[in-house]
Amino acid sequence: MDLNYTPEDIAFRKQVRAWLEQNLPREPIRTLDERRAWHRKLYEAGYLGMGWPKEYGGAGARPMEQAIVADEMARAKAPAPTNGLGLGIVGPTIVVHGTDAQKRRYLRKILTAEELWCQLYSEPNAGSDLAALKTRAVDRGDHFAVNGQKIWTSGGPIADWGLLLARTDPAVPKHKGISCFLMNMRQPGVDVRPLKQITGSSEFSEVFMTDARVEKSDQIGKLGEGWAIAQTTLGYERGGRSLARVTSYAAQYQSLLAATRRLQRHGRPLLDDAVVRQKLGRIWAELEVERYSALRVLSQLERGEHPGAGGSVTKLSYSEFEKRFMELAQEILGPYGQLTDGAPPEYRLEIDTAVGDHGTWAYAYLWSRAGTIYAGSSEIQKNVIGERILGLPKETRADRAGAIR
Amino acid sequence: MNFAFTDDQILLRNSVRAALDEQCKPAHVRGTMGDARGFGDALWGEMAKLGWLGLPFPEEYGGAGLGLVELSLILEELGRAAYPGPYFSSVVLGGLGLMLGGSAAQKEKWLPAVASGQSRLSAALVEESLDWDPGATRTAASRSGSGWVLSGVKRFVPWAHVADAVLVPARAPEGVTLFLVDPRAAGVSLSPMVGIDLANRWSEMKLDGVPVSPDAVVGSVGGAGPLLLALLRRAAVGASAEMLGAARRCLDMSVEYAKVREQFGQPIGSFQAIRHRCAEMLLAVENSHAAVYYAAWALNAGAEDAPMAASVCKAYVSEAAREVCGDAIQVHGGIGFTWEYDLHLYFKRAKALEPLFGDAEFHRELIVRSVAA
Repeated sequence: MDLNYTPEDIAFRKQVRAWLEQNLPREPIRTLDERRAWHRKLYEAGYLGMGWPKEYGGAGARPMEQAIVADEMARAKAPAPTNGLGLGIVGPTIVVHGTDAQKRRYLRKILTAEELWCQLYSEPNAGSDLAALKTRAVDRGDHFAVNGQKIWTSGGPIADWGLLLARTDPAVPKHKGISCFLMNMRQPGVDVRPLKQITGSSEFSEVFMTDARVEKSDQIGKLGEGWAIAQTTLGYERGGRSLARVTSYAAQYQSLLAATRRLQRHGRPLLDDAVVRQKLGRIWAELEVERYSALRVLSQLERGEHPGAGGSVTKLSYSEFEKRFMELAQEILGPYGQLTDGAPPEYRLEIDTAVGDHGTWAYAYLWSRAGTIYAGSSEIQKNVIGERILGLPKETRADRAGAIR
Repeated sequence: MNFAFTDDQILLRNSVRAALDEQCKPAHVRGTMGDARGFGDALWGEMAKLGWLGLPFPEEYGGAGLGLVELSLILEELGRAAYPGPYFSSVVLGGLGLMLGGSAAQKEKWLPAVASGQSRLSAALVEESLDWDPGATRTAASRSGSGWVLSGVKRFVPWAHVADAVLVPARAPEGVTLFLVDPRAAGVSLSPMVGIDLANRWSEMKLDGVPVSPDAVVGSVGGAGPLLLALLRRAAVGASAEMLGAARRCLDMSVEYAKVREQFGQPIGSFQAIRHRCAEMLLAVENSHAAVYYAAWALNAGAEDAPMAASVCKAYVSEAAREVCGDAIQVHGGIGFTWEYDLHLYFKRAKALEPLFGDAEFHRELIVRSVAA
């Protein structure tokens, strides 16, 4: 056990920090073109797709180097690159399960953000029970015709391509009849409708597919393997952003602390109030524990171990923490915390949200409700922990053998 | 960066667990409860033989020269076994206290004797007020000839009744000073304070004009504050390691029980109400593991954030362990509330340690002072 960073890691961090100081956009990013340009700059510096194999345009970097880049970006409050799902989920899926032709065709353009990707998994009636999905892909000889509806698709309006799970065999048990495809989003059969969330913004969309065309050459893996493929790729990116996440929380915590020096109750700054201090102390302790746990997961990845179901522990921990943190921020900030416009500078939050000008505590608060739902709700994570880590018996289920029609 | 234990550390943990599984079964723990002394010589001798009693001491003092990570590994296993005896008080409170502040002569006299199991130490870190801040010390030290006379009352002194010397902070005119006091000396009276954890022993320690010689001062006269804070941090992390062990034992027992206990025609672990509770317990245990070993490593390495890590650890684990052990009773239902079932041994161990060496509130205040500085 040695929790010191290696001299190489320290040197690498310095190098990333210096690069960011030189290259950070001077003005806030407003347009997609500006974000693409920033993305490309990061890629050309070797800071994107770092973990991908070199032969596909990656840098073959260690998990720690990836984590350091993400961490330094969080520290510098650098804007996020675009194509997060392309980099995090689609690319690794193609690397592991794709054909050579698919790798040559798609991977580099994901890295350069020439083609942006979305993920077409959830459906209105297949959320936690994702394997109940009903979108059909029917073999039409030279292509598949896709019909159905997807929901909670990130970046739908800007996506050129989507990673699709669709049912190809309705006669077999639900988990066995799903296949995985790459689908062109720029075609008449695909209708993307932004979904307005409680934040008022639309990070997510609904996608309607009516005889949408998927080429035979864009099938990933074998027919019926879609569920297994989705399972192996869900956890690819876990760990890489874990340190960066904590660094962002810590920056937000410092702005909250600054507010507790200005805000008062009964004539005294909130920071002098014992109850407030206790709550601040609790959240900082939890934040530090998140950091220690992030280091633990990172060091596991460094040793070449895959956390597997351990990813569920990480996700459950930080998403539930974030909710508690934002509840405390609201408690301290009072109505300032609810301002979506007109917030004095002392009560704004410096975060890049990738969807425009939402750098408010209000946005961060509302957004904290998403983390315990997306990518497997806290309840699903607890099921995974219970069954796969603790070995508790599965609950009796009525649907396991049944087909989905 | 490597958060994993080394092969040697894993070997140590396995051998400690094997020895305790054999010699510190629940029946052994229960057997000590009615006994005035409260612990067994056979296991104590075994601990000496296996090198646990001198584990963190330098080799020149008969120790193994290992660090706080290894010590925490042992303490976690002791918590897992609800070990009854003066290991923590002797090795952590007394031993580390002398390592931090003792003179060469004091270390020479005591550390080899502690390592061999011949002598036992403790420390009296708290008084009536329960304020763990060394500045709150009210026990008085006044000069008498070349030596000192101590008067005051210490509370919750662990295993003082079997200690050969107790580290006693007292307020001298120059400031808080640390003394080594023989608990059998004239003027010292001990009376038992019996808590819910019967495998743990506390005493009230009254000092009524107790004469101590000048060479009984540990560290500098009036300068014990930083030394006591350093010791408090180590004790807080050590206690957290023991609470972690108790919590992991409770989690393990709950999971095993949930697999076999049937209600409504199926194992209760198949119900989400139980499964989700167990998952939350696991999360609390894993986070506690990260907190304990990060802090142990940081203290050992003298890392810049070591004081923060120690407070984070105690603030987090104090509550996490109490909740996990409490949840274990809930998962077990009625059987978990019976005396004959072993769960309460670990539940009570975690509870007994929760308020010691600064409770969660105490450490959260230290955290805020540091982060808002």
